[in-house]
Amino acid sequence: MNPITRKHLSRRAVLRGLSASIALPALDAMRPAFASTPAPASPTRLAFAYVPNGVTLADWTPKGTGTGFQLGRILKPLEPFRDDLLVLSGLAQKNGNALGDGPGDHARAGAAYLTGVHPRKTAGADIHNGISVDQIVARHFADETRFESIELGCEESRTVGNCDSGYSCAYTNSISWRTATTPMPPEMNPRMAFERLFGADDLNLTPEERARRARRRRSVLDVVAVRAKELTGSVGPEDRRKVDEYLTAIRDVERQIQRAEKDGREVVPNIEKPSGVPATFAEYVKLMYELQVVAFQADLTRVSTMMVGREGSLQAYPEIGVPDSHHPLTHHRAQPELVEKVTLINTFHVELFAHLLERLKATPDGDGTLLDHTVVLYGSGLSDGDRHTHEDLPLLLAGRGAGIRPGRHVVYPAETPMTNLFVTLLDRMGIPAETIGDSTGRIGQLTEA
Amino acid sequence: MAAVVLAAARLLAAEPAAAAAPTATFDGHIRPFLVQRCHVCHNGVVRNADLDLQRFATPETILTEPETWEKVVQRLKTRVMPPPELPQPSAEEVHAVTGWIEGLFDEAERRAPADPGRVTARRLNRTEYNNTLRDLLAVDLMPADDFPQDDTGYGFDNIGDVLSVSPILLEKYVGAAEKVARAAVFGRAAPKPSMTKYQPPLAKIEPCSDVKTDYDTTGLSLPNAIHVVHRFPVEAEYQFRVVMTGSRPLGSAPVEIGLFIDDRQVEVLPLDLEGGATFDRFRQDLSGRTREFRARVPAGDHQVALSVLRLYEGLPPSYEGPNPTRRPPPPPPAFEPPPGLPEDRLAAFRKRYEMRLLELAPVNEARVRHVEIVGPFEPRTGPSPASLAKVFVCGHKPGKHKPACGPKIVESLARRAYRRPVTAADTDPLLALVTQARRQGEPFEEAITLALQAVLVSPDFLFRIERGGEATDGGPGRPLTPHELASRLSYFLWSTMPDDELLGLADRGRLGEPEVLQAQVARMLADPRASALVESFGGQWLQFRALESVAPDRERFPLFEDGLRLAMRRETEMFLDSVVREDRSILDLLDARYTFLNERLAAHYGIEGVKGPQFRRVDLADGRRGGVLTHGSVLTVSSYATRTSPVLRGKWILENLLNAPPPDPPAGIPRLDESTVGASGSLRQQLEAHRTNATCAACHVKMDPLGFALENYDAVGAWRDKDGKWEIDPSGKLPDGQTFAGAHDLKSVLRADQAAFAEAVTGKLLTYALGRGLERSDRRTVRDIAARIAPSDYRFGALVLEIVRSLPFQRRRGEAQKT
Repeated sequence: MNPITRKHLSRRAVLRGLSASIALPALDAMRPAFASTPAPASPTRLAFAYVPNGVTLADWTPKGTGTGFQLGRILKPLEPFRDDLLVLSGLAQKNGNALGDGPGDHARAGAAYLTGVHPRKTAGADIHNGISVDQIVARHFADETRFESIELGCEESRTVGNCDSGYSCAYTNSISWRTATTPMPPEMNPRMAFERLFGADDLNLTPEERARRARRRRSVLDVVAVRAKELTGSVGPEDRRKVDEYLTAIRDVERQIQRAEKDGREVVPNIEKPSGVPATFAEYVKLMYELQVVAFQADLTRVSTMMVGREGSLQAYPEIGVPDSHHPLTHHRAQPELVEKVTLINTFHVELFAHLLERLKATPDGDGTLLDHTVVLYGSGLSDGDRHTHEDLPLLLAGRGAGIRPGRHVVYPAETPMTNLFVTLLDRMGIPAETIGDSTGRIGQLTEA
Repeated sequence: MAAVVLAAARLLAAEPAAAAAPTATFDGHIRPFLVQRCHVCHNGVVRNADLDLQRFATPETILTEPETWEKVVQRLKTRVMPPPELPQPSAEEVHAVTGWIEGLFDEAERRAPADPGRVTARRLNRTEYNNTLRDLLAVDLMPADDFPQDDTGYGFDNIGDVLSVSPILLEKYVGAAEKVARAAVFGRAAPKPSMTKYQPPLAKIEPCSDVKTDYDTTGLSLPNAIHVVHRFPVEAEYQFRVVMTGSRPLGSAPVEIGLFIDDRQVEVLPLDLEGGATFDRFRQDLSGRTREFRARVPAGDHQVALSVLRLYEGLPPSYEGPNPTRRPPPPPPAFEPPPGLPEDRLAAFRKRYEMRLLELAPVNEARVRHVEIVGPFEPRTGPSPASLAKVFVCGHKPGKHKPACGPKIVESLARRAYRRPVTAADTDPLLALVTQARRQGEPFEEAITLALQAVLVSPDFLFRIERGGEATDGGPGRPLTPHELASRLSYFLWSTMPDDELLGLADRGRLGEPEVLQAQVARMLADPRASALVESFGGQWLQFRALESVAPDRERFPLFEDGLRLAMRRETEMFLDSVVREDRSILDLLDARYTFLNERLAAHYGIEGVKGPQFRRVDLADGRRGGVLTHGSVLTVSSYATRTSPVLRGKWILENLLNAPPPDPPAGIPRLDESTVGASGSLRQQLEAHRTNATCAACHVKMDPLGFALENYDAVGAWRDKDGKWEIDPSGKLPDGQTFAGAHDLKSVLRADQAAFAEAVTGKLLTYALGRGLERSDRRTVRDIAARIAPSDYRFGALVLEIVRSLPFQRRRGEAQKT
């Protein structure tokens, strides 16, 4: 299942080709189209997969360190990818702690996970978090790909009412934050995610008509940007914040239209357009992972975030024998039968994650596979969901992007800020960032034993 | 904490409502207490929890930080502070100190200058966006369905501060504007047919050979049907492919399958099973058999149901059912022993064969397994006359529009989209787009479409920005302009833009006149668009919106299926709607003697005499049901997937019906463990054990009894007398000493404190109306409104009118005014 990019072949020809064969070699036939993309070597991609409510740490943490580690029960489904894993123990997001703000650990865990910032406790009036690491990277590569980043999620249900102890639902709905006040809402519908990436809406139009519409959209954006600028001068400070946010978004979309025009490739996805949310959770999650693979492969974006569930998720998993809601289960007070169910959910999530690794590894990219040029961070913003602990988070990196040397289990000193990992990763990707959130420096052992 | 908890309901006050000792003074009592009990850890040097209480040396300094002191009061009252390892003050001491602090703030509140509060520019949320386009352009595309979810704050999704604009949302706005503008002017592009498969979890059917005569012959109330809500993108033909399962007795007449859309029977198709493939030669087998229906459906959400009609008819006469089949009985299946069966086993085999011949097959198993909806086919093409009329206000024939009309068209579109009078500064850039497009050789219609696209992406359309009018009349803040008022009204009551009548009254400056305003509120509440209030306000306040995503455990609740889920929602919607339309007292929400049921829901509730799938008003006699607290919707959303939670339900009542959310549990205290019920005692015994812990008891003594009163209703709202092996004891005692024997009593207790409930509802509705969280300065407004509507017996219309007349609704804080 490969997307194919081209400049020279007609789309019909490509489609005909596809219907005849969707096997991997088809990709090589298209190599010239790839060769015309500016990146000389395969670029590094960065993906974040988030699971809510912590894990059963005893069943997560591998036995032994270094290369001689043994995967525990939860990570067992990743055994085939053992050599591509770098399991990280000991990292913490201390800004997820109460720090005087009382309960709300789930909201804080989700909000702080990629920002390292202590989110302001508010039901809405003055939401304030920090910029998330995926968005720092997205901005850095902004001009290189059609989409700066993609944000996906697999908890379709609407949130109703308040989310966690006096925190606005904005904190649990998004792990990705464009700015301290603008969360990036994840796309929960695979069809919509597909249409955004591949513009399926426009496929009926002639290239001329599409170009004309892009031109018209640009002139529309010009007009409204002028209007927004006028407004910023004449409204009060709170409204100005909203208008500024709007104006920033306008500029982002303008740039995106420009990039799409400059790119000029037509990307024909080699997966069928999803009709909506699949019936089973497993199919749903796999499809969302698949879309990330396809987007990376066609170099439509370099950065993705994926929320398998929202922090505090109430999802039930009857298909694996856990009909109970996830969140209340995690408050198991060490009762074995409840802990067991939590472990089952954790393991199920990892099984689905294995699908992503499998697909990345099966996809050729440059001189190797996509997994060789990708870094995936998988984990949760809580370690023990029962006690709401924010230290020794369950985290692992997969892939060899950014020069990571996987195949090991590394234990860092207790309470090492997770943001130190981010700063180090950004170093490896050539992105200058002195500090992120509460970072205090770099961490070692990512690229060497 | 920015959110301000309104005065807790009196009946829940932990102590009798006696005022704090009037003799307490700051220097004589309060300060010594603070010095002795608090300063040791919370001073300028040791700032535990980042808190320095030493700074507060006078009552005036205390008044500068209400949030801090609200927390202090809460920590003292819940006995979280001073920490248990330190010497503890007596209950009287704590009472005196907290009472004094609260009194200080109450007094300050009374003296404070009136303040309308701060409303941030509100972006249209998804519902408002769809509705506004419907009314602006007569386009029913509902493009916001594809937008990201709106974040919520203070329990609602229309809070200005929380509704942000991410790049992806703006991207969608740009795409939607193009789609909608083209649809209005040229008709929508025909979407390609797509298929959606619905395979909902099915309720369990116990196979049974007894026929029934008294049952719902439409089948809609039986578990054999399936019910789905499908969003049809456009008015068109759709195909409904139904796949069946289950069996019928051999020789039965063809089953009839009915397609219902919004409870109306659209088509019936027979399915003859005789002689078909079967795994069981003694039965007719429906597995995998399909039928295709076709129907024209208008755009929008519609309830689709497929059922087996007259389930117990058409059976062979031996079943003694109504209207048996006249089909000659089929020959019995031949005796066909497996070849080579040894002689000694042949007799046993024959015996089994003969028994099967005599055996009656189940008659209740034929059912719909899943449905695929495919379409649209043959959608209406071309622009609708209604859309053209909204855009081309000069009224020419399509294709013959006169370019001279450009300014008039643009002016009218902008005025309605921006919901206010427009100036040249608004229209000039739009007209420039028209000119530019014309110059590039685009037809007039294309040029207008471009301007319309710009209108729909403009911040003036996407946001409700209140920036008109600076003049002040000496009151606090400034009065809204008539157009701002019109928008506040229409988005409050209709979740959409003001209609021509409201805009016209605003144009003439008459909307603010008291009689005009009152008449408009009455008109708006009677309008069909007011159903948005039930769905958006009601659905979020009572949280029945969450019904769509609950997943009760299939093992424990085998009868829960989507027909029931939809029926639960329908009950609460129709009930709220009756309160709105009939202008009933909001107290009826607590304990009305009526509700709305169909056969399915009535059966779930154990209420007899409700036959058929139609909803109807039912008078309730036995006291088991009545009021939202006993609605299946509320009882289900306040439960976990596998069980009820008295704590969750108690909290639900405190938060939503009494506006007295329990304070957050202290950090580090493990959640109450409710999950081991049945192991070592009833849930109740276990919870009571928990309450021996003083810290927990402070709040659970309020929450738990409320939840226990509802324990007779299981996690999907069905009545029960036992929970597992434990007899349910729904009685309880509230902190103020009032006792109750169960849910029915509890409702009377709640209703008796009318003001508390009225203030709670007022607070919620005011939050929703203003699109902002309530602040300290709003307490007075809430109390005043609740007091004013008391003489009218708290009628809903009076409540809405008083909210509309209130200071924060009518005025806004001056732009320069400091917060």
